[in-house]
Amino acid sequence: MEPKEILTLKEITKSYGEMRALSPLSLRIKQGESVALIGPSGAGKTTLLNIFASVIQADAGEFEISGKPAHRYTSAKQLARKVGMIRQQFDLVRPLPVIHNVLAGRLGEWGFFKSLVSFIFPQEKDVAARALERVGLADKIYEKTANLSGGEQQRVALARLLVQHPEIILADEPVSSLDPARAEDVLAMLVNLANEENQTLVASLHSVELAKKYFTRLIALREGTVYFDLPVEEVTDESLSELYDLVEMKDNDAKAAVFS
Amino acid sequence: MTQNHTKRPPIRQFGFVKFSFFLSLGLILFSWVFVIKVDGADLFALFSEKNLHSAIGFLKNMFGVGVENPAFTDAESWQNALYLTFKTLEMSIMAIGFAAIGMLFTVVPAARNAADGSLTLSRNWYGRLVFLIVRGIYVFTRAIPELIWAMMIIFIFQPGILPGAIALALHNFGILGKLCAEVIEDLDTRPIRGLASSGASKAQMLIYGVIPTVLPRFITYILYRWEVIIRTTIVVGFVGAGGLGRQFKLSMSFFHYTEITLFLICYIGLVVVADLVSAGLRKGAE
Amino acid sequence: MMRKLLYFHKKNVLTLFLVLVFILSLFSVNWGPELLHAGGLNALQEMVAALFHPDLSPYILQLALIASVRTLAYAVTGMSIAVLIALIFGVLASGLLSSGRWNRLLSMSGFRGLLGFMRAIHELVWAWLFVVAFGLTPYAAIFAIAIHYGGILGRIFADMLNDVPPEPIQALKASGASRFQLLLYGYFPAAAADILSYVMYRFECAIRSSAIMSFVGLGGLGYQIHLSLTDLKYDQVWTFLLFLIALVVLVDLWSQFLRKRMVA
Repeated sequence: MEPKEILTLKEITKSYGEMRALSPLSLRIKQGESVALIGPSGAGKTTLLNIFASVIQADAGEFEISGKPAHRYTSAKQLARKVGMIRQQFDLVRPLPVIHNVLAGRLGEWGFFKSLVSFIFPQEKDVAARALERVGLADKIYEKTANLSGGEQQRVALARLLVQHPEIILADEPVSSLDPARAEDVLAMLVNLANEENQTLVASLHSVELAKKYFTRLIALREGTVYFDLPVEEVTDESLSELYDLVEMKDNDAKAAVFS
Repeated sequence: MTQNHTKRPPIRQFGFVKFSFFLSLGLILFSWVFVIKVDGADLFALFSEKNLHSAIGFLKNMFGVGVENPAFTDAESWQNALYLTFKTLEMSIMAIGFAAIGMLFTVVPAARNAADGSLTLSRNWYGRLVFLIVRGIYVFTRAIPELIWAMMIIFIFQPGILPGAIALALHNFGILGKLCAEVIEDLDTRPIRGLASSGASKAQMLIYGVIPTVLPRFITYILYRWEVIIRTTIVVGFVGAGGLGRQFKLSMSFFHYTEITLFLICYIGLVVVADLVSAGLRKGAE
Repeated sequence: MMRKLLYFHKKNVLTLFLVLVFILSLFSVNWGPELLHAGGLNALQEMVAALFHPDLSPYILQLALIASVRTLAYAVTGMSIAVLIALIFGVLASGLLSSGRWNRLLSMSGFRGLLGFMRAIHELVWAWLFVVAFGLTPYAAIFAIAIHYGGILGRIFADMLNDVPPEPIQALKASGASRFQLLLYGYFPAAAADILSYVMYRFECAIRSSAIMSFVGLGGLGYQIHLSLTDLKYDQVWTFLLFLIALVVLVDLWSQFLRKRMVA
């Protein structure tokens, strides 16, 4: 069965004041793909992911999720079934015990009273326990989230995504604040979980090595436009160094202009 | 990458600080001149012979020198005093309870980030209006001292601990409101947005995101204000609200100095104990 | 696992306990109509109504203005002395000028105790004590404010000085600064912004304190309010109250602006 298109961008632009974050940009991502976004800082990766998550609205152009315009997903609940996000850090509510952060993935399905009761007497504990088991943190279920290490907290965020079970997982530099060993562990876990559940994964990454190793499609952004969009086998070292170098040179040119 | 517009020259920024400095000096000078010249307050008359005598006589009376049955040696007086102290304690608990409840109901719309929608990622037209109204009520209730609230409330209620509690509650409601709204404003909004992207509704974001983060701070502020309220109960009693203060005023009118000493001892004891309890509870809340 | 469960519920237990204590206290009042005065509800209605048309006659306005100036003057003079007291005793209570461990401990506990005593007693009680001792003079109010707020500010100054991060101080010490110089060039500049902010906040409180000094017979806004209340002229009361609120709000705004500029 031919996988359907799940994320469609047509001529999207986004500006912050005078700064153009995304120039007209078009992308199509199919269900089940695992895509890495790479590019220098400020290229627009976070902005793009935020648009996918409907956290911000594009200034112009069309954005569709599963063929339906994004703004027609009116409730947070509907959207949460489609799209889930994991960020670099500060995503979890730190004073809460781990179980509440994990069960946050179920909040969209629970009504007000169930959420209230669960705050004191956690409901659906088994769901949380299973998710934590899969990320290897079963024993930390009642631990205060703030007491966990960075890597463990990211795994809790993964467990939350497991519970939420969205069709699309967006990851904004999910491993950038972890040390290299931990980073690879968590990234591998993320990619495996997404594959097991046949979820679409779009992740922005700092490290090109990790991107090449774990993803099948690389989209490179530079200054708000797509620099290249290729399956990982076709990405050359040349195009990579151009992606990152050219921007540096442009900066140097700018500096030269100021000081002359 | 375009450059940002240039920063404002530092000279203009410091203008206000300098201005404030001179304004303060001016105020201080003016106030002292006013007090000495206009009100005719005489500093040196304070330390006259007559005053010294009356001051010493006063102190002697307080310590029960030359009085047959000083109140602080009398068991019955102690019993009475301790009962009043307990009543005062109750007044303080009621007061902080009312103030805290009032605050909890009004504090969320009083936070700038809740009102303009940056907290919950949703905007509405009435946010700004409600914000201004609630903040206005806070300013109104806290600008009026507890004593003056009490003076007015005594016209409505019979003397007792309830009017005292209400007066204290009104004033502290405004103070707690402002302090706690600022706690919400200083919140890190990122975890709350994380909840939103997991599908949480506004109410759920409040319960799971906002409340657990602000509650320790809220409790600290509530307990801290309780300490202040304990100190103010004696003054509110002056106007007839009940508890130690009211008795204090009566003893003052009848010049029963040793009773006054007894009450002062109980009062200081209450303050010290309350401070200790509050400090202990605050540690537990962190 | 049990220990973690216990922690999990600890905060909830604490909150529950506090709520329980509050509910218990409510039982000590005999709830019922005897709570109110005979004309109580009427009085409430009149007071609320009077809020919307305060007495704005020139006579009252003039009275309000003078009373406001008096209230402000007492507050400023009282605070000026309080700041002096706080600087001296606060530094002593922080123990930063003492040589040797024992001296420092003695200094800290002794002066903190003194400051604690000064602030434990409500300013009105201080004022009353002074009136009995010195008679009815503005200095009773001024010294009452000075001592009470001196105690508060002194304690806070000591805490803020003690909270200054040690690294910059070490650097100064290494270049051979004496204890006094350390204080002047190291500790104070670091704590200055916080200290100023707190002083402004307490100044606002002092204005309220000054207003209620009427209760021991000294003039000011509180005195006028008291007079008007006994005459049951609620519209006059609200005029005076509005002046008081305006005074407090002005000082609050000033302090906010100042804090913004200082942080820059």
